[in-house]
Amino acid sequence: MLFGRKNRKPISIPNKKVKEWHYTTCNYCSTGCSIEIGLNEEKKIVTTRGHAGADVNRGKLCIKGLLEHELFDSVGRGTEPLMRDQHFEEFKETSWQQALDTSAEKIKAIQQQYGRDAFAIVSSGQLLTEEFYTLGKLARGCIGTNQYDGNTTLCMASAVSGYKRSFGSDGPPGCYDDFEHTHCLMAFGSNLPEQHPIIYWRLKEALEKRKFPLIVVDPRVTMLAQFADIHLPITPGTDCVLINSMMHVIINEELQDQAYIDAHTQGFDDIKALVQEYNPKSAQHVCGIDEDTIRSVARLYAKAPAAMSIWTMGINQSTHGSDGVANINNLNLITGNIGKKGGTSLSITGQCNAMGTREWSSCSGLPGYRYLENPEDRQDIADFWGIDAEFFPKKRGLQQTDIFSAIETGEIKGMWLVATNPMTSMPNTGRIRKILEKLDFLIVQDVYSDVETNQYSHVYFPASVWSEKEGCHTNTERRVNLISKIMPCYANSKPDLWIFNEMAKRFDNGRQIHFPENAEDVFDEMKHLSRGKNAYGEKRTLDISGMSYEKIVKARGIQWPYSQEMDGSLQGEPRLYTDGKFQTANGRANLIPVNFYNNNEQPCQDYPFWLNSGRVVEHFHTRTRTGKIGNCNKFSPTPYMEMNPDAAKALGVKHQSYVRLTSRRGDSVVMVQLTQRVPRNMVFVPFHYHDCVNRLTLGLLDPYSRQPAFKQCSVRIEVLDNAQQVEAAQLNVERREF
Amino acid sequence: MMNQIIKESATEETLSVEIFNPKEIMSTADEGKEQQGRSDHWQVRTQEQPYAFLPDHVLTPDEVAIENRYGKRIDLVELTDKPKNRSLFINENPEVGSNPNRNKQHGFFFTADNCIGCHACESACSEKNDNPAHLAFRSVGYVEGGSYPDYKRMNISMACNHCDDPVCLKGCPTRAYTKHAEYGAVLQDPETCFGCGYCTWVCPYNAPQLDPVKGRVSKCNMCVDRLEVGLKPACVSACVGNALDFGVIENTPENRQQCKTSIPGFPDPDITHPNIRFQQVKDLPDEMTRTDGMPVKYHKDKQGNYKPVIDQKAGVRKSWNFARLNSRENPLVLFTLFAQAALGSFAIPFIGALFGMEAFTRFVDSALFLPLTIIALLMTSFALLMSVTHLGKPMRFYRGFNNLRYSPMAREGFGLAMFSAGCGLTALFSLPSNAWVVDFAQHLLGLDLIYLSQGLPLKSIVTGTGLFTLISGAAGLFYMNKCYQIKARPFWNHIQTATAFVGNSLSLGALVSGVIVLGTLLAMDIAIEKAMLVFASLFTLGLVIEALGLIIHNHDLNRSDNEGGAAHYVQCTTFGKTYLLRNSLLTLNIIAAITLLSLQLSGFNSTTLLLPWLALALLNCVTALIGRALFYILVIPTTMPGAFFWKNKSFEEHARDTGLADNPATGVAPLAH
Repeated sequence: MLFGRKNRKPISIPNKKVKEWHYTTCNYCSTGCSIEIGLNEEKKIVTTRGHAGADVNRGKLCIKGLLEHELFDSVGRGTEPLMRDQHFEEFKETSWQQALDTSAEKIKAIQQQYGRDAFAIVSSGQLLTEEFYTLGKLARGCIGTNQYDGNTTLCMASAVSGYKRSFGSDGPPGCYDDFEHTHCLMAFGSNLPEQHPIIYWRLKEALEKRKFPLIVVDPRVTMLAQFADIHLPITPGTDCVLINSMMHVIINEELQDQAYIDAHTQGFDDIKALVQEYNPKSAQHVCGIDEDTIRSVARLYAKAPAAMSIWTMGINQSTHGSDGVANINNLNLITGNIGKKGGTSLSITGQCNAMGTREWSSCSGLPGYRYLENPEDRQDIADFWGIDAEFFPKKRGLQQTDIFSAIETGEIKGMWLVATNPMTSMPNTGRIRKILEKLDFLIVQDVYSDVETNQYSHVYFPASVWSEKEGCHTNTERRVNLISKIMPCYANSKPDLWIFNEMAKRFDNGRQIHFPENAEDVFDEMKHLSRGKNAYGEKRTLDISGMSYEKIVKARGIQWPYSQEMDGSLQGEPRLYTDGKFQTANGRANLIPVNFYNNNEQPCQDYPFWLNSGRVVEHFHTRTRTGKIGNCNKFSPTPYMEMNPDAAKALGVKHQSYVRLTSRRGDSVVMVQLTQRVPRNMVFVPFHYHDCVNRLTLGLLDPYSRQPAFKQCSVRIEVLDNAQQVEAAQLNVERREF
Repeated sequence: MMNQIIKESATEETLSVEIFNPKEIMSTADEGKEQQGRSDHWQVRTQEQPYAFLPDHVLTPDEVAIENRYGKRIDLVELTDKPKNRSLFINENPEVGSNPNRNKQHGFFFTADNCIGCHACESACSEKNDNPAHLAFRSVGYVEGGSYPDYKRMNISMACNHCDDPVCLKGCPTRAYTKHAEYGAVLQDPETCFGCGYCTWVCPYNAPQLDPVKGRVSKCNMCVDRLEVGLKPACVSACVGNALDFGVIENTPENRQQCKTSIPGFPDPDITHPNIRFQQVKDLPDEMTRTDGMPVKYHKDKQGNYKPVIDQKAGVRKSWNFARLNSRENPLVLFTLFAQAALGSFAIPFIGALFGMEAFTRFVDSALFLPLTIIALLMTSFALLMSVTHLGKPMRFYRGFNNLRYSPMAREGFGLAMFSAGCGLTALFSLPSNAWVVDFAQHLLGLDLIYLSQGLPLKSIVTGTGLFTLISGAAGLFYMNKCYQIKARPFWNHIQTATAFVGNSLSLGALVSGVIVLGTLLAMDIAIEKAMLVFASLFTLGLVIEALGLIIHNHDLNRSDNEGGAAHYVQCTTFGKTYLLRNSLLTLNIIAAITLLSLQLSGFNSTTLLLPWLALALLNCVTALIGRALFYILVIPTTMPGAFFWKNKSFEEHARDTGLADNPATGVAPLAH
């Protein structure tokens, strides 16, 4: 040693003493990182680490994944089924038998009295695919309600809808490897470093190997916007105007890929006609991006040998969500950037298994991207399940957002919520409270009994979480990966698959349909349903028939389509539509003219600020998990608001003080963080916190996807005096149970 | 080894995975053999990726410099006489690490342009080291500048820099720190640490972390267990922005063009010669601000370097904030004041006697010299007790003298302990000359002290022990001052610290000893004029010295742009009225003292002046108390910028005040003291 004493001090470094490593997949976002869980000699979980041999994350994990092992025994976990007659009474512990019997009886009673569709089921993007498929079987095949949807309506519905309208089917056509091949990447309302850090890392790796232009469209100067070659600080809600005027430039300067358009698309003339109204000269005044920049970006994108677009909630959560997605697809179709290396429309999904629910849950139709509207699809599934096809409705029912409206209007009387927390996640939570109070019967099935929505439930089912169960996830690039059962179920919690199977036994059809107990047996059913051709006689894109759990683990995830014929390799198809054939009647992609209309609540004299909301990297959704893991939560333990210092000066608002935000819906108290990251007429509040930003949001619905426009509404800022600061702080503490 | 594997796999028949075949990096045959050729300190992951590995060959002279830019040898074995292949005995494991470059100084390389502030490094570190939420060896803060949309944020991820000149190691009184010839790692042993927190004062980067719950310091251990098998530290391996890297110091990583020693927000590297290098090539706005509560921002100078300047975050309004004077540093306020008072109390009469001033020689010979030494002893003991209660682990107080070689704090403690011992000895050898004690011993204990001490040159012994006491006390005071002359704390690193300490020793010492000595003289009916003049002059001198220091301090810090200036800004605003009160009191004290002194010199009856003097001296205690509390509460260290919640002192204070901190997941530990 250079200094210190002769006999060196002992060096002790914590040693987790891992005895066994177990393979699993992360349970937070849709990136789909492979994780190894470390158990010590006593089989106690002691650590998580990224799997270095997995293609997706190559050993990397974000903060949430690195600390994920801490969630199993965090406070607030549900231990026993709970029941009560009225939501204002105290819960009493009960047995699974009793809880399930009562629930089944109540569901049947409501359906008997008010009709089958008076009972709604809203699930999630958090379950395993096998569980989604089973819940779909239960909802569509046994309970038989058409009011069945997932909370993916809050995040991915616009992407699904846009994909379906453009390509005839859902399913992101690209993959992360496209970063390695693209010559221009345009990100619309997507902040990878914060939302999907590992996808960002893949992008960064590609950029360090080979520099290509990065264009970021975002009203906020996020880290990605800051690192972009060109940042377009757009006026909220006007993406369609920007894209239309880009296409105006591309088409009028004849930069489009006419050969591709002629061979693989339909509707080009309509687009060409429409975009004439979107001259950058006039469009600039609507979207806030000057005409020269629009032209320069349009030329850059069109001239790139391969260009790709990614987007997240900046597009999806708006009144033009589905249109925005369709328009991004338009841009890529006219420049020939679909189905080729580095050229794609890649929606970056939110929840870990949003894709799983889109593919297999039957929320929007029937399993495997089948449509209720299609008689053959109905027959197919009815035959496979062994029930009468007439049991199925002939048209898709309500989506999550409309289900809540139907409770409001009294059409729906009972609901089953699975792994979702609308009390925090839905817009205008004041209204949601009233709606939940109205229910005759509410089941909440969740990992945590302290999930805020539970205060309105009559029955609570404690569910097991993550590696307490077995099954698959599909990530943003269509990669199916395995969650292994490694941990025992917490207390008397049960895997969601078990709960659905048990519930099925209590319905007539449930005794006819086979409900396998084993997750892989369920997977086999899905494999079977993924074979063959779709309604138009085209090969199904969603083909998982070649997969098995063993192969998935061996390959650390396999992308679909992966048919039986591809058995020799562990590699699925990295891209869709490489042959230019789409899942439409004539195999051509639809170019859909998107007209801009402005129905957003705009900043005005009374409410002069745009309210923008979004994610922070250390939290997931409504903080039921990350809010209890100190090393995540400490980076933002209370709600805060980014506000421009110049605007603050004019109002007398101080850094790190509390203000009251009011909108036409309600109010909310937040701590102020002054930063030039946001413009003078906008504030940004993370959406994770209970009783915070969603007390204010309007959430106008997209006409196609029924997804709420969380990111466009207006608020007023009210300064609080010294005495009120103390009260605000008190309120902040009271509202933070976790 | 990696190259070899890639070559091998090229010849192997692999499955046709187009995008990424893990087997391109490691063949199937090698799966599970990742550990081969490596020591057993850490389990290498299955199919570990190249980004996690350090070079696995001995770096050639082409690849590594001989000396770093400060002229220090990078090969550390050459700096020591120790053999090369010594085990680090990590967790008592005797195996020698397999890293071929283990004897070279390593350091972090941070590409500030790339950091996205995603917390992966921080959480990987906390996960590996089992750190609770309120503690972190690595933290990310940021500076930001510009105006929308021309806005830039620069995130800074910082842990320990394993400095060439580890001030933590030198400052630590317990010798808990070792700088190892392996990797140049500066490691700290929490089991040795007694939680004084002095290393957290001297470190400019806030690397050592004092855990208020466990009452001890711990810090970044460079992941030497990973290094020993040839893996980069956990934080580096976890980085998803490609910002953090690690290697032999002065080596610029592949794909990087710059290797500099500072970025905006980073303290002056000259303080410790930290082993960290940066790349920061993207242009930043001229002014970068901090989001945390520190009233500091950074301004670009003509050379393009960013220097700290004051950020008037709290405006210019002057407030009292009197209640906040009551802080967790209270024990240190009492420790320093009582120790200084004790020194003065003993020194003034003793030196007076040494100089042969009659009033003092008679006092030293009197029965009341013993009580004075005992009072001085008690005051120092109380002071030391206070300093011990400030420790996270008070029962380990005895370790405070382990590092006399380097630590001013160890020397301060030792000096004061010797002063106490000296007082004790002086008191002991004064016993036989004290008529009361002799009487008392004779009658109640049956001890004849005079007989027992027969033949001893008591007077010379007392003079000797007194001199010893005096020298120890002076040394204690000297090192007490040295303790605060810290480059990382510019507010203290000033002559004002010395003037305050000396000034208070005189003014407080004059009060305590004055009361006893003058009381004695009055009781013995000895003229007090001369003695009183000495006390009055020294008291006044103490005040004047303190005031002069404060004037220079104010003058210097008003012109200072660093954290010292920022602290002074807080002093003038947040504590503006309190600061004014203290200054006014001090001025008033000086005017009154000079007036009284003049009256005394003009022949006014000394006895009638006793009461006004006493009142004045007591008022001075209040002044000194406020002054010392301000001294502790105001200091702003040269730490790294924090984030909005994490490492933001203002938020921590808010969380503690409101009760948010009661939830451990908030990451703010309630203060233990």
